[in-house]
Amino acid sequence: MVSLRGLRIVLLSLLLLTAGWVLPAVSMAAPDQKTVDFLDDDFYENEPDIVDVGDPLESFNRAMFEFNDIAFTWVFNPVATGYSYVIPADIRGSVDNFFSNLQEPLRFINTLLQGRFSDSGAVLTRFVINTIGGVGGLGDPAGRGLGYPRIDATLGETLEVWGVHDGFYLVVPFFGPTTVRDFSGNLVEVYAMSAYYNWTDGWEETAAIYLFEKQNKLSLHLGEYEEMKQLSFDPYVAVRNGYFQHRKQKRDHSVRSYDN
Amino acid sequence: MIFFNRNLQRLFLGALFLTFFLPSGAFCSTPDPTEQLKPFLEKLVAELKTDEFKQDTSCHQCKRIVDLASEHFDFYEMSRRVMGKQWRTLSTEQKDKFVSLFTKLLQYAYIGKVEDYVDKKIEFKGQRVKGKRAEVKTLLVDTDKTIPVSYIMLLKDDKWMAYDIVVENVSLVRNYMEQIRSILRSKKFPGLITQLEKKIKTLEEQKNKKHANAGQQASSVPSAESSETHKL
Repeated sequence: MVSLRGLRIVLLSLLLLTAGWVLPAVSMAAPDQKTVDFLDDDFYENEPDIVDVGDPLESFNRAMFEFNDIAFTWVFNPVATGYSYVIPADIRGSVDNFFSNLQEPLRFINTLLQGRFSDSGAVLTRFVINTIGGVGGLGDPAGRGLGYPRIDATLGETLEVWGVHDGFYLVVPFFGPTTVRDFSGNLVEVYAMSAYYNWTDGWEETAAIYLFEKQNKLSLHLGEYEEMKQLSFDPYVAVRNGYFQHRKQKRDHSVRSYDN
Repeated sequence: MIFFNRNLQRLFLGALFLTFFLPSGAFCSTPDPTEQLKPFLEKLVAELKTDEFKQDTSCHQCKRIVDLASEHFDFYEMSRRVMGKQWRTLSTEQKDKFVSLFTKLLQYAYIGKVEDYVDKKIEFKGQRVKGKRAEVKTLLVDTDKTIPVSYIMLLKDDKWMAYDIVVENVSLVRNYMEQIRSILRSKKFPGLITQLEKKIKTLEEQKNKKHANAGQQASSVPSAESSETHKL
């Protein structure tokens, strides 16, 4: 048990180290901090490298994309579809709220590290209200009635704020589109989350919980991926572009988005 | 950075306040984008709800939907924009060819999207006008999820025409733009046309199959159940 944990930490630090070392060399340009304005023609005409982040591993990524696509089509999507028939939408929404609530302390730390102090307050408020008033986070009274919508703050973004470059685009099996930096951040966060799962016997159970969480999330977004794939003539590029566009907007905190 | 954004936000709120609470006719006569978009979307969705459309096996009605959609969707502008800088390098024939094919693709894309709207609710979440441009924010509300959809519009002769749709923060035009760029880089213009034609053909086949199925179900199963299957 201990050695496994130790191994994981070593693996993580190695990854982060390599990331820090490779990143400045490979990254194409500094992340463009300009906010997106759809009403501005620049957004369409300038084509300021649409991909801020390079994709030097494109052939590997494409292979992983194919792999994920097959796993999605033949395993995850059918399972999530079946699950969505059996479990009503409001319960699936509650499960999603529950997992999201568990992550609020992480978000709190990240907002602090990013200097978004008013967001830190909001995250803390959400955590308290939803844990108590939302029965352990199953409900989202803070978001629904009290005007504290979900706030996004990941370690990947913290690293971005601190000047760590994206590295390059990466498609990870069973995980999807990400970048070296964001994926490293994600691993650390998964590790931090495992503090909750102390009662589990081994990594298998933690992995099962992770899979269940993802599966539940997917059941709330059925059909979106297929539709996207159906309408694009290069799904790989479409997903890559969608990932970066979505991420950029999500990290633009001047605009409160109401999705999630 | 953060403080800067806060100020911007305040400025934006102030502007919003002004547009709402000052008599709009007093200093400009720009038509209201939401007021144009709302009845238009309602009309489109109503059209898709008719039995005529649901039981339409060979997609005869699709043409009608497209004509209706063209009222506030500028398919030409969209095609021009997805080409980005490349647009100026194309000959007139190439432009025409591309616009006609890409318009067709967009129409399939859009009909597919609006068909989804049928059993959802559209909420209007405000708008932003900047000169001749406007962004109308909507929320597509379903039982288990809410999807933000923004319409980016251009004022043409008192008519607001959409030239981009932003779904969950992802701009459709921008997304196609990158796909086109990558295809142009490796396969040049003729390759792009072939790929477009191939895509449209598969979409056509899928559409026909889907409508044939829907038609069969509608005629053989009692109506309550058929609406259920249609939803799935």
